[in-house]
Amino acid sequence: MSRHYDTGFDEALLSGYLDGELTQADRQRVRLHLEDDAAARELVDEMRRIREAARSTDLPAPLDEEWDESPRTAGSRWFRRSGWILVVGWAVVLVGLATWGLFAGPDSWWQKLLAGALVGGPVLLFLSVLTDRMQVMKHDRYRRVEK
Amino acid sequence: MEEPQALDADLVSQARAGDGDARNELVRRYRTPAFRFALQLTGHREDALDVTQDSMLRFLDTLDLFDGDRPIQPWLFRIVRNKAYDLGRRQKVRRAESLEDLLERGMPPPVQAMPHPVERLELNELRREVWKALNMLNETQREILVLREYQDLSYGEISEVLGVPTGTVMSRLHRARHALRDLLSGEESN
Repeated sequence: MSRHYDTGFDEALLSGYLDGELTQADRQRVRLHLEDDAAARELVDEMRRIREAARSTDLPAPLDEEWDESPRTAGSRWFRRSGWILVVGWAVVLVGLATWGLFAGPDSWWQKLLAGALVGGPVLLFLSVLTDRMQVMKHDRYRRVEK
Repeated sequence: MEEPQALDADLVSQARAGDGDARNELVRRYRTPAFRFALQLTGHREDALDVTQDSMLRFLDTLDLFDGDRPIQPWLFRIVRNKAYDLGRRQKVRRAESLEDLLERGMPPPVQAMPHPVERLELNELRREVWKALNMLNETQREILVLREYQDLSYGEISEVLGVPTGTVMSRLHRARHALRDLLSGEESN
């Protein structure tokens, strides 16, 4: 919490001083206060240190491709979202129907097992490769470097 | 040499008149600062991208309401702030990422010259701690710290973004700095 002084000194002025936002009279007032108050000097030094750390934190911006791939208008955004919902819904229904058709059909259990393995094997292999690729994409710092 | 501010004003009037190139140029010019501000408010990269896209669209839609002679950034940041809070209200749970995770993706920041490796390590550690503590503050404290410490906006510009007097900016900022410092000293003592 901010400190309150008997002298009526407003501690928030220390922030204004640090940011160079005070009038000349207030600046002078803060300077005089800092000469007498070691705790206030320490506070200003700490706030300055934190500010320098924050200011030098250069957060990465999206790559140009990421911006280019993103929808430009509210309309295209709506179409893209709706398109994804339809594609995912369609895939879920299709897989559900295929699974139901396979297991509810007249084939014997070993034929179902063979058919399931025939489709399931490649799907599992694909998922394995996809998982690895996604992991690499997430952690490879140099993925954008031209090979 | 032409003043950048004057060029912005020209772009705004051209965009208002329906010039697609001017609209694209405004988006290209301001999407990165808007994204960084959104990222600092939300703490999450994908959320920040969503917020930025929504904000840029809103910015273009409301160009007629914007005073073209004023700087664009405070106006745009106000939109970003509102969009970020809309998203926060919808999500309910805040999902901030660590600084390390954020730095791993996107365009790598430029390498900064640092006189001594130990100093660099200490500064990196402090950056991580400040980012973590920032994400533990309440919205009011976080936004004012982001605007001043990360975005380097003046008190006048902050007051424009937040819609409060400059005196309030100073006292609110000071309380936020105290809160951040308390969190950091708590972490250091742990």
